[in-house]
Amino acid sequence: MKRYNLLFPVLLGAILFAQCLFAQPQSMHPAFPLLDGNGKNVLQSAQPVSTMLTCGNCHDTRYIESHSGHVAFGLFPLNTQDSTASPQHWNRTLYNLLTMNMKNPATGSVANQLMSYGARHVGGGMAVYSSTGQRLDNIPAQTDNPETSYWDMNAGQIAAWNWRESGVVEMNCFICHIPVIDNQARQAELAAGRFAWANTATLARAGIVNKTAVGFAYNKTSFLADGSVDPDKIRISDPGNDNCGSCHGIVHNAATDILISPGCNAAQWATETTGQIISPQKIAVSGMNLVNKNDLTRSWDIHAERLVECVDCHHSANNPAYYQESASSKPQHLNFDARKMSIQEYLYRPSHQFVRGQSWQLSTSTQTANTMRRCESCHNAESTHAWLPYKNRHFNALACESCHIPKLYSPTRRLVDWTVINDHGQPRTECRSIDGKFGSLSTPIYGYEPVLLGRIEPDGRQRLAPYNIISLWYWVHGAPEQPVTLAMLQQVYYPNGSPANNVLASLDANQNGALDDDELCLDTPAKIDLVANKLAALGLNSPRIKSVLAPFAIHHNVAGREWVTRNCESCHSNQSLITRPFLLANNYPHNVQPDLITTGILDMNGSLQSQEGGLVFKPSARAAGFYILGHDRVNGVQIAGAALFILVLLGISAHGLLRYIASRKLLKTKEKTKQVYMYTAYERIWHWLQALAIIGLIFTGLIIHSPSVFGVLSFSYAIYLHNVLALILLVNAFLSAFYHFASGKIKMFLPEPEGFFSQAIDQMLYYLSGIFKGAPHPFEKTHDKKLNPLQKLTYLVILNILLPVQIITGILIWGAQHWPTIAAKLGGLLFLVPFHSLVAWFFAAFLILHIYLTTTGHTATSSIKAMISGWEEIKKS
Amino acid sequence: MLFSVALFLIAPILLLIPRPAKQSDPWSNLPTRPIHTNHADLIKGEFADGSAVTRRCLECHEDAAVQIMKTSHWTWESEPVSIMGHPKPVILGKKNAINNFCIGITSNWPPCTACHAGYGWADNSFDFGNHENVDCLVCHDGSGQYVKGNAGYPAEGVDLVAAARSVKIATRDNCGGCHFRGGGGDAVKHGDLDGSLYFPSERIDVHMGKHNFICTDCHVTRNHDIKGRSISVSFHAQNQVYCTDCHDKNLHADERITAHVSTVACQTCHIPEAALKEATKMHWDWSAAGQDLPEDTHEYLKIKGRFVYAKNIQPEYFWYNGSATHYILGDKIDPDEPTMLNPPNGDINDRNARIFPFKVHTAKQIFDAQYNYLLVPKTYGKGGFWTEFDWNQAAKLGSADTGLPYSGHFGFVSTVMFWPITHMVATKEKALQCIDCHSDTQKSRMDWTALGYDGDPMFRGGRKTSKL
Repeated sequence: MKRYNLLFPVLLGAILFAQCLFAQPQSMHPAFPLLDGNGKNVLQSAQPVSTMLTCGNCHDTRYIESHSGHVAFGLFPLNTQDSTASPQHWNRTLYNLLTMNMKNPATGSVANQLMSYGARHVGGGMAVYSSTGQRLDNIPAQTDNPETSYWDMNAGQIAAWNWRESGVVEMNCFICHIPVIDNQARQAELAAGRFAWANTATLARAGIVNKTAVGFAYNKTSFLADGSVDPDKIRISDPGNDNCGSCHGIVHNAATDILISPGCNAAQWATETTGQIISPQKIAVSGMNLVNKNDLTRSWDIHAERLVECVDCHHSANNPAYYQESASSKPQHLNFDARKMSIQEYLYRPSHQFVRGQSWQLSTSTQTANTMRRCESCHNAESTHAWLPYKNRHFNALACESCHIPKLYSPTRRLVDWTVINDHGQPRTECRSIDGKFGSLSTPIYGYEPVLLGRIEPDGRQRLAPYNIISLWYWVHGAPEQPVTLAMLQQVYYPNGSPANNVLASLDANQNGALDDDELCLDTPAKIDLVANKLAALGLNSPRIKSVLAPFAIHHNVAGREWVTRNCESCHSNQSLITRPFLLANNYPHNVQPDLITTGILDMNGSLQSQEGGLVFKPSARAAGFYILGHDRVNGVQIAGAALFILVLLGISAHGLLRYIASRKLLKTKEKTKQVYMYTAYERIWHWLQALAIIGLIFTGLIIHSPSVFGVLSFSYAIYLHNVLALILLVNAFLSAFYHFASGKIKMFLPEPEGFFSQAIDQMLYYLSGIFKGAPHPFEKTHDKKLNPLQKLTYLVILNILLPVQIITGILIWGAQHWPTIAAKLGGLLFLVPFHSLVAWFFAAFLILHIYLTTTGHTATSSIKAMISGWEEIKKS
Repeated sequence: MLFSVALFLIAPILLLIPRPAKQSDPWSNLPTRPIHTNHADLIKGEFADGSAVTRRCLECHEDAAVQIMKTSHWTWESEPVSIMGHPKPVILGKKNAINNFCIGITSNWPPCTACHAGYGWADNSFDFGNHENVDCLVCHDGSGQYVKGNAGYPAEGVDLVAAARSVKIATRDNCGGCHFRGGGGDAVKHGDLDGSLYFPSERIDVHMGKHNFICTDCHVTRNHDIKGRSISVSFHAQNQVYCTDCHDKNLHADERITAHVSTVACQTCHIPEAALKEATKMHWDWSAAGQDLPEDTHEYLKIKGRFVYAKNIQPEYFWYNGSATHYILGDKIDPDEPTMLNPPNGDINDRNARIFPFKVHTAKQIFDAQYNYLLVPKTYGKGGFWTEFDWNQAAKLGSADTGLPYSGHFGFVSTVMFWPITHMVATKEKALQCIDCHSDTQKSRMDWTALGYDGDPMFRGGRKTSKL
């Protein structure tokens, strides 16, 4: 059994290890006591935990609190400016206007805010300090100060709020730094107004406190003998995805538990506004009622699948592992600065400003905008996109997310209509991705494709990036306009708790005595007037409905490999997803149109359209400065070019017909002819090569122009062929030019100065009348002088103007990939491509004219035969 | 000249046309199934017994018996292997191997040899050279009513003529008749082989379910030599079946997954769970047998003892290079430690070893308390434990047949056996994800330190990179 010796301990250990319960990794954080607001151990005082004092023993909590965007969120002065973020800001989605204070209705009482929306705030900041910097529990309570008063729903009036009794909400370290948190208990304490206990309640699930009938009691078994918390129970750690998900959206980290969530739920902000769900699980395995779920074998989010955590990208600004000096201050000679803050220093004062992108809605921490790494900081797009033609062009026009986040699979908000409220005081909402009532697990989910809007990125380029747009509708009054408070709306719609009669009668379309969800819409002028009058009767000056579109950038739920938009025709065709109409609202107040978004970095280029009662946004990439080959076209060019072509076609048809008729009447005299060697081998070669190239270019050009109509070849292959043919054309033309110049044959193209015009007119008269009468050619063709004056003129224009222009515009279009600045200086694709198309029409017209005119030789086929064999049959003179 | 011009221009175009990369097609590596010959009109007359059928088969298939007799399905032995500590090369096989299910066939032949591909192996005196003892029908029956009884004879009431007329190539029902029912019943032994594979859905096994593979599509058979072997009865991996017999080794598009291929076996990621439909036996306590307690096939039987069954089992993962170290009858054990009956060979430094999934079956079985080796008790038949419930007598009678001296003192020791999980392959969408092994927030399937790593190789580097 000697052989077993090595194996024994390993395998035995493996067996025992595997069979015993999974030992969670020990936290390295030292044991510490929980202190209350007076600095005493909570086991003695039974008071709520003060995180500032507890954690402040080792970490600089003052620094942390003052260097945190999560805390600052809410400290900005109250105003009605655009922001759908902070609860202190007037938030149109949540409609957090709870006070009846008519003088300054935009001010919400802090206590009310915390009770209703405090769950969305980590504490500290506005939850501890007044706008003057004093602690809230040090300010004398006054009913006209929104920071020390609150709107008592039951009494129906404003009352003073006793901060000494309720306590303040300190910055809640536990909610991010403990793996097992009790967010529900915390929210319950906040909603009940027992602010001081909110942070302590967070510890309930970890077993450190227990909920009792009267409050919370500390669980002695979770503490060590010296009075500190058992580190194995509290397990202080860096934030995991689940911690972020407690506020930011649905995070589902478990590999085996299936994910079920109805979505479109105000408690999960990121999912509600964009449909993003952070989960490594495959969508096909989840419990969501998705249509064709079995085919969705991708994960919800590929970064979560690959174990990239929230904090790996959204790390602390001074985290020594990730910190990099900004490019503007980094000296030229350094690639990498090896000097790093020591871990001890970092742990003492970790900045809680997390690096972020430039999402529009988070306007609280302006100084951290664009501090986060973008996709290209980690990913090598150059090597993985070798299959993509015109890589750089695409990278300059599209954000990575445009193709890599093709679809979101969770229901998400589409519309919030606060112009009408239901009997719970809630607005009417519409959800994307689903067809029906949200919140029910059996509603089939289809998913939705985000709209692509032009956004100015940190490098100054405008790129298309995916967004969800939520339309928001609400009443305003007065000048400057102020939103109507919720209480006012309730007075209008539900005075004394039940629906107002005339409002009910007006809105109740199916006459069932109650207002159903789809009836809660002021979709006729009469309904709007009714409500407006009622608001005016309450003392509001010129009440009117306002509508705003809120865009929400989408950066997560990236898909990998075969799920990414890869098909050229997805964008380069009639049904381009770049200009796909995006539904904003199915039902909306009559005749109220929201403004298109224009901010510093985001512009909605396009138009709003009403389609079958729904409000739709039709993006216009052209208005954003993009010209999409295969999709866009300039109508003027199309019409002009087609008109020219058709004119020529008609002309030659008529001319030919007339000639045919005339020839039947004419006497057929046998004329003496001779064979003249007209075209050398080279001339024939270069002519036919040019002809084939041009025909090929027109053919592939048509496919590029309209791949949906002329899709004989794939879009990318047509472009490839077009380039190859263009190169052949260029080389051929250049060689031919060289030949003609070097051999002196160029002379035959040059007009002779004497008598040029009279000869030209003679030639023209021949074509217009002489040819029908059987008159002889005014111009005798010889080997050295092959071109009549009209031909010379035509080729002058074609070979010296049209062809070079076409070649140059073509090169510049191709060059948008390599020399984007030069192409942009000359108008960019927006100008170059329509121009190129116009000249293409000219060439097409020339082509048919040219082929027709070759029939005007001695016989109908003598000229073409000459161009093939070199010998032409010429009348003996 | 025109031609050369044309060539000069066209050639570059043709050369530059992109061509799709050729990928090897796994379907092209499948063996061709022989065309079925209907024997209904060829076989006539009555058959007195199984051997009569065999004689009839051999009239045309002259070499069949000889071929079978060379294989382990007949001999129940593998080739001899030199083992350290044993003077002569050891021949191991079902004939003489000890396991921790029914323990051993010695002295218990009749019910065990019901699954022998022959007739009449009722005791030590079975004639392994007699061609007529070969059972053709067990593998080739197509009538569905051919069942074997004790000592391998056809059971009572089997219609031999119908069976003989129905012969075809072996399909899942033929192989499964024995291989699904090891250990005393359906789904008991292997964990990844049970009756759910007769008509599996795609969820149970992608090859047998989605693509309706028969066993010999992977266990390629030539002249009755069936590819494949198990470390339950073998030392080595000769004539083994591998995923790469059909599938390209580098078929993953993703670089990260490709980096796993030289360390992690295909089965590890592609068989997340076994015993998907039927519970399999995980623990067998023989020492509890013999008591008059309420009986339940999944809990307790008087003749066998107490069991633990489990369904949807997550395998355990060990290094495995294809060979195992097997307990050989007479080897000394340490009664205070669990005895590994067939630990897989391999460790983190073995280039040929991969991390492989196993069903680990533990048991308490009888051993000689004085001589410190495992015993094969007689369970079936006259004087066996299943009738007398006397361990001492069972040990004595069993030892008489195995040839091991029995001291008269018996006891029970813990044993462990490793059953490779290689069937019940899931569809590729259900393969393990990164988070199943590399997570620090959730229970990882891998015990990194037990496998010899310093920690999660995602952060510390795999075994190929130098020690960080």
